[in-house]
Amino acid sequence: MNGNSRSLEKTVLYLFLAAISIFCLLPFYWLLRSSLMGLVQIFEMPPMWFPAPVKFTNYSEALTILPFGRYFLNTVFIVVFTITGTILSSSVSAYSFARLKWPHRDLVFGILLSSMMLPYAVTLIPTYLGWSFLGAIDTYYPLIIPAWFGGGAFNIFLLRQFYLTIPGELDEAALIDGAGFFTIYSKIIMPLTRPALIVVGLFTFLNCWNDFLGPLVYLNSEIKYTLAIGLESFKGLYNAQWHLLMAASTVVVFPAIIIFFIGQKYFIEGIAMTGLKG
Amino acid sequence: MKKAVFWIGLIALLFALVSTVSAGGDQEVTGEKGAKEVVTLKFTYWGSPNEKTAVVDAMKGFENTYDWIRVEAQHIAGDYDTKMATMIAGGTEPDIAYLNIGQAFPWAAENKLYNIYDLIATDPEMSKSDFLDSIWYNWAPGKSFGTNSAVESMALFYNVDMFEEAGVPLPPTKAEDAWTWDEFVNITRQLTIDQNGNNALSPNFDSENIKQFGFQFSTWYAHYMTMVYSNGGDYISEDGTRFALTRPEAIDAIQKLADLINVYHVSPSPVQAKNIPGGAAGLQTKKVAMKQDGQWCLLDLGASGLNFGVGVLPKLKKSVTLVLGAPTVIFSSTDHPEEAWLFYKYLANPQSVLNLMAGGLWMPLLKNWYTEPELVGKWAEENPAHPEGYRDAIMRQTMKNGVPGVEYYVMNWGELNNLVNPALAPVWLGKKTARQALEEIEEKANTLVIGRYGL
Amino acid sequence: MRNLLTLTGSGKRHLKSLARTKKQEALIGVLFASPAIFGFLLFIFIPMIASLGMSFTDYALVNKMRFIGLENYVKLLNGTDPFFYKALGVTTYYVLLSTPLCLIFAFFMAVLLNNESIRGKAIFRTIFYLPTLIPVVASSMIWLWLFNPDLGLINTILRVLHLPPGMWIYDEKTVIPSIVLMSLWTSGGTMIIFLAGLQGIPKQLYESVELDGGKSVHKLFYITIPLMTPTIFFNLVIGFIYGFQVFTQAYIMTEGGPNNASLFYTFYLYRTAFKFSKMANACAIGWILFIIIALLTLLIFKTSKEWVHTEGGR
Repeated sequence: MNGNSRSLEKTVLYLFLAAISIFCLLPFYWLLRSSLMGLVQIFEMPPMWFPAPVKFTNYSEALTILPFGRYFLNTVFIVVFTITGTILSSSVSAYSFARLKWPHRDLVFGILLSSMMLPYAVTLIPTYLGWSFLGAIDTYYPLIIPAWFGGGAFNIFLLRQFYLTIPGELDEAALIDGAGFFTIYSKIIMPLTRPALIVVGLFTFLNCWNDFLGPLVYLNSEIKYTLAIGLESFKGLYNAQWHLLMAASTVVVFPAIIIFFIGQKYFIEGIAMTGLKG
Repeated sequence: MKKAVFWIGLIALLFALVSTVSAGGDQEVTGEKGAKEVVTLKFTYWGSPNEKTAVVDAMKGFENTYDWIRVEAQHIAGDYDTKMATMIAGGTEPDIAYLNIGQAFPWAAENKLYNIYDLIATDPEMSKSDFLDSIWYNWAPGKSFGTNSAVESMALFYNVDMFEEAGVPLPPTKAEDAWTWDEFVNITRQLTIDQNGNNALSPNFDSENIKQFGFQFSTWYAHYMTMVYSNGGDYISEDGTRFALTRPEAIDAIQKLADLINVYHVSPSPVQAKNIPGGAAGLQTKKVAMKQDGQWCLLDLGASGLNFGVGVLPKLKKSVTLVLGAPTVIFSSTDHPEEAWLFYKYLANPQSVLNLMAGGLWMPLLKNWYTEPELVGKWAEENPAHPEGYRDAIMRQTMKNGVPGVEYYVMNWGELNNLVNPALAPVWLGKKTARQALEEIEEKANTLVIGRYGL
Repeated sequence: MRNLLTLTGSGKRHLKSLARTKKQEALIGVLFASPAIFGFLLFIFIPMIASLGMSFTDYALVNKMRFIGLENYVKLLNGTDPFFYKALGVTTYYVLLSTPLCLIFAFFMAVLLNNESIRGKAIFRTIFYLPTLIPVVASSMIWLWLFNPDLGLINTILRVLHLPPGMWIYDEKTVIPSIVLMSLWTSGGTMIIFLAGLQGIPKQLYESVELDGGKSVHKLFYITIPLMTPTIFFNLVIGFIYGFQVFTQAYIMTEGGPNNASLFYTFYLYRTAFKFSKMANACAIGWILFIIIALLTLLIFKTSKEWVHTEGGR
């Protein structure tokens, strides 16, 4: 009896998960579908579930209209430096805000947090003026350097919350053993919170990968453009080439999915390595 | 600690204020560079990939003609306004650029843009009257920051086969033959068909299940304003002091359009319109028989292979079309006004961007390209984007009966539109009459009416 | 790692001898936080102060700035600007609806997918996270199709189930709930944060509940939720902060309509700043939002001491 209700429970659970999966996947399928259609077919009503004929040429067309290879390399360049900087600097800062005591620490943290509360549109111009003053317009510096200085309040806040859950005895014991604070940070805190660091890395990747406004505002030479800007080029003032936009979007999403699959794998391994598992 | 924060804040404030003030201040205009020395012009523009290709080709042609000038062009995709705002605030604006009027007018008023009339007055090759009269953006009397990058206007587009199936006459192409409103409604009702095959004149017509609409228009201002102008109305009063959509001519025109949706059921409501694909596809899939649209949709129609036609829009009092577009401007901060003007002229020459004209997306800025058969033949004949009747229905109509849209002369138009367009939403849905809806916002609208450009 | 765990007992006894390191700790603490503090001052604080300064002027990008005191604020608060209160109301409604719903949904999904007995949970996690990977230009286009009243997928399914179809983003009353639905779809990010948090909960704790004969409900309420409070707290605060700044849906899908029913605050701000070049006005609009969010966050932080569980924080 018990076993039966268990398996019924399981069936309901899997049905539920399947329903949500469809809800999540369908739009993605739609993206893929539209990327293989002609412009007129995309607007066909009732909508077509399968492209007929399948237009693979959208991909070759989309990829040749713009120098996607170049944009890809540019984006990867920015992403690599941004992620490295963010992970290093946000974790160090978060460690300090979570586990080291110093005067006015929580006040400073609060002020830091406040930087998320002002809409970007308001600070965009002054920030631009600052970078312009430093002669950094049309370079990648405005896109990368902030990552090395804290990596954004969001990430610091996220990591701080994770660091708060680690028992304080760990640091104290290490201190008695004569370990320095940096050792505690690098040998205890970092490994213990690997899943959180991966989350930070993943979010940073996505933000950076899809960031449109930053490159738009700071870059002037088309040769320095990124993928996100490339995507927008398919939309004109009077018309949009949706089929090409969809094909290009699919190409741009692809690396993000790969990265996520890799990240996903490390979530599990990360836990196994911390030794807290069993 | 507190003291330190205070001081840092104060210094930061000073720094920031100083930098914004200095960036916002007037900049010296220097010119008169030696002609032999290589000059680099910065140019920013927008557009879909095919527009981009055409503009890049034009640039190359320009550089070949004027070998001492290099054009450093930047194609800006997506949020053009934000990019321009940061550039002008930072003093890094280009020499010459496409610009949206929401930015162009206020910037011109602060003398950030060249008065093109000044440049054209001293130019031996070109005069103001070479351009269509309706495409100049005047921010003050005798002051203009330029003309459109390309001419666009509103017209009627239709699927020829659907007219033949319904056995009704095709829309007229000449202004003098334009349908009156009643003729138009009558024809449109015959073109509207429900799922049982009854048209909208039939007593058995099922307005809940319409398969094919006779006429589609959008709730965008350019659509209803065309009818308001046709009825002798306007957006604001002649002296630019009062909101004028509450006047009988305007209310009447807007109500007539709304009645197409809610009384005659011959036009899709804004919600039903979401089921109808844009561009050529709406006509192609026979969802609608006729639609009002901008002439740029010829690009799409021409490429679709559809048997389509163009006609003049129905008239209320007089047959008109609304002219619209966005300006190309020269920034007054440029170090090379002469070269920038050369490039401006080059872009204005339809010959430079002929592909965009022949493809159907753009119309020429210069009058002789509408009048001289040889020039007309270069873009408006013998290509799929320009069917028979085009020259009367759109080309001549734009030149002779083209009315500059509200963007050309209504001060504060963007904000007015933000008030008016949402207020009209219930009118299109049949929940309010045009009179009710517009009179409700009249008082607020009057506070936003601050004048008329060019007066 | 295991060595360290065993040391904890003796560590407590030696606490007092650590006093000498207090000063050193403070020094190191400031040092470690200094990149963030320095970066904040340079890249964020200066622009923030500049925008605050601009909000007291008539700055419009190209004019000579003039100090006009509180005029911008007065015009907003006394209703001269026809959109201010509308935008604030619409956005508050959105935040109150979306924040709790997204939080509960994401938490629920995370707990479900952290369950050892569910097969293929790696696949499910990936699937639920996928929506956040699609670029917004593409996903908005897709959602426009889903929401289409006559031919859209959602109404088609409702009709099959004999449920009344809706007007979704095309009706004043349902536009905000529809956008909330869309944000549920992209709550995979929140779910990931919860998952990371769940994986930090030591298994021994669950085992001890099992030994005491506790059921899954007990585990949830006595272990999972208390230990997850720092993460819940984080997601709540972030949900509020980002919720008030919701922008893209209005920008791409609705343009604030119908009849301003989705005129989100940040969209209205953006429009003022970049469509009309009224930068000073926009700054005032932004700073009013800042004050609102800051007060709310402060409130959440103040109450957090009552319900957020911390282990090693000091």
